[in-house]
Amino acid sequence: MSSVHRIRPLARILRSATFRLTLIYAGLFVVSACVLFATVFVIATAAMQNDMQEVLRTEALQLAEIHRRYGLLGLAEQVTRRMSYRTRGPIYYLVQAPTQQVVVGNLPGMPPVEGVVDFVHDKDSAEPNDARAKLTGFGLTLPDGTFVLVAQDASRLIDMQHAIVRAFIWAGALTLLLAIGGGVLLGGNFVRRIDTIGRTSRAIMEGDLSARIPVRGNNDEIDQLVVGLNAMLDRIQQLLEGLRQVSSDIAHDLRTPLGRLRQKLEDAREHASTTAEYQAATEGAIAEADSLLEIFSALLRIAQIEAGAQKSAFTDVDLSELMRSIAEAYEPSAEDSQHKLEVDVADGVKMTGDRQLLAQLFSNLVENALTHTPDGSTVRLALHPKGNGFEAVVADNGPGIPAEEREKVFDRFYRLDRSRTTRGSGLGLALVKAITTLHGLTLRLEDHHPGLAVHLTR
Amino acid sequence: MAATLNVCIVGPVKILLIEDDSQTADYIAKGLREHGHVVDKTDNGRDGLYMATGEPYDVMIVDRNLPKMDGLSLVKAARASGTRTPVLFLTTMGGVDDRVAGLEAGGDDYLVKPFAFAELLARVGALARRPPIVAATSLKVGDLEVDLLSRAVTRGGKRIDLLAQEFKILEYLMRHAGEIVTRTMLLEKVWDFHFDPKTNIVETHISRLRSKIDKGFDKPLLHTVRGAGYVIRTSD
Repeated sequence: MSSVHRIRPLARILRSATFRLTLIYAGLFVVSACVLFATVFVIATAAMQNDMQEVLRTEALQLAEIHRRYGLLGLAEQVTRRMSYRTRGPIYYLVQAPTQQVVVGNLPGMPPVEGVVDFVHDKDSAEPNDARAKLTGFGLTLPDGTFVLVAQDASRLIDMQHAIVRAFIWAGALTLLLAIGGGVLLGGNFVRRIDTIGRTSRAIMEGDLSARIPVRGNNDEIDQLVVGLNAMLDRIQQLLEGLRQVSSDIAHDLRTPLGRLRQKLEDAREHASTTAEYQAATEGAIAEADSLLEIFSALLRIAQIEAGAQKSAFTDVDLSELMRSIAEAYEPSAEDSQHKLEVDVADGVKMTGDRQLLAQLFSNLVENALTHTPDGSTVRLALHPKGNGFEAVVADNGPGIPAEEREKVFDRFYRLDRSRTTRGSGLGLALVKAITTLHGLTLRLEDHHPGLAVHLTR
Repeated sequence: MAATLNVCIVGPVKILLIEDDSQTADYIAKGLREHGHVVDKTDNGRDGLYMATGEPYDVMIVDRNLPKMDGLSLVKAARASGTRTPVLFLTTMGGVDDRVAGLEAGGDDYLVKPFAFAELLARVGALARRPPIVAATSLKVGDLEVDLLSRAVTRGGKRIDLLAQEFKILEYLMRHAGEIVTRTMLLEKVWDFHFDPKTNIVETHISRLRSKIDKGFDKPLLHTVRGAGYVIRTSD
């Protein structure tokens, strides 16, 4: 990490992935350009050669026709005239008698050849710069033995070949230059964006949890990555805030019982004089300590369940039997507090789960219903198959929970204002939520008109 | 009504305590000795295994986290070498998985720290005198009789009708007649509740059971031991 920071910006750009990619593309382009060049070169040369030979052949045939019509003299006259035009570059002519004597022309005599011929011509001293010229010619022997040759300077072809090579060299150099320049620019862009991500992560490490990586809005790969990273950061921040909230809630909620504990011990020290008084004070202190321990073990249990570590204890659970035994367990307590406990449980509803946790789930719900409803209320436990699964309901006809608070009651330590004075840690429903999540059950709080109905479905 | 604790556990029990936290170990040993028991203690797993396999003890109390050899491995090794001493695990880990792991390793009971001393004492007592494997067909305390086959309960020849859970409570208490049975033990054995309900379900059931078996008779059999639990026995 630190070694990266010491490298100069240009070196970083040259090492960047985008730059390397650009170079690879440029290389590929050069290779394909070479292939293209070779093809063009070969085809153009061949075409031009063909073209030249065709011109020479046509000229030679024209001369043959003139010879047929007007005889050798007419031919000589025509050739002399044509030698004085200089239309498409210099054209060389040779009309040679069967005796190899030159009749007319600007080429030295030679043994007759038929068709295309390449040869070197030593020019006269009038054009010293270009004393030797490569010529391409077309030879034709006429019926009376006269030999006619028309030739043209082949340097035009070579010039063209050179022009093609030069064009390709320039174009190639320009392409490479553009590729490298573009690579540096794009690479720099890439490096800058990566740097932004790095800076943001450092800012977050230094404590600025709200820092986010800017999004460009062009929805490219980096943008998508950044959006993902930002979403992850949002989630982490949310979790940390939750954790912070929980820690401060724990601290706050433990202060009250700890304060009471301290107060009881202090009171015993100041005022207790008889053994009975000391005993009473000690028992009060133990009760407070127990309720503290209870809060801790509930928190620990929620944490354990949320970690999902308990799934190995899953077995087949007879939910019908479980709910009936819960109802039976709470029957006497319900009766003591003048509550009516109604049980409407269908037979044979089974699920896979942790029996003890499910027992705690329903017992928490029943206890909740019993503690938060006035005497004389009815608590109803129902279980029925529904679709492929089942629906379990624990409902009461008490004061219910206002709609806007229904989600919050599952938070740790959350308590409705009116139940602050009743016994309880505010962890019961948080535990219920954790257990339902572990078992993949859907938990819904509904208005029971009046009262609250907790629906568990699968 | 309130009885003292030591009346209920008859005879000294020889206990091996394996616990590495010296403060906890001293507290437990002192308490157990005060109730007339003999306690040997050690602070690590290896010595613990050596002692457990070398000498006959009535009960072993084993902490789960121990130096040199952890509690689970110790009990597994002891069981493998043929030691059948009942084991009570002490642990700070109270999850269902931990409990299951402890029992599968060969533990007989399980107590989550922190615990009330009365709870430990009652459980040690229950382990030291585990009922014989031979199944009894009836249980009797004073003039109270429980027929386990017909599930009929009579006191002084008079028939008493009990609900299913009341019967389970009575059966458990009668099987441990003379011993203290704590609220937590009842929650675990009768309801299979391994958590502490906020509602007084044990108390309400006991109060119903008491009104059925003791009401109208001269001498009560079901006693509440303050700060500890319940005991069924003939005299104070």
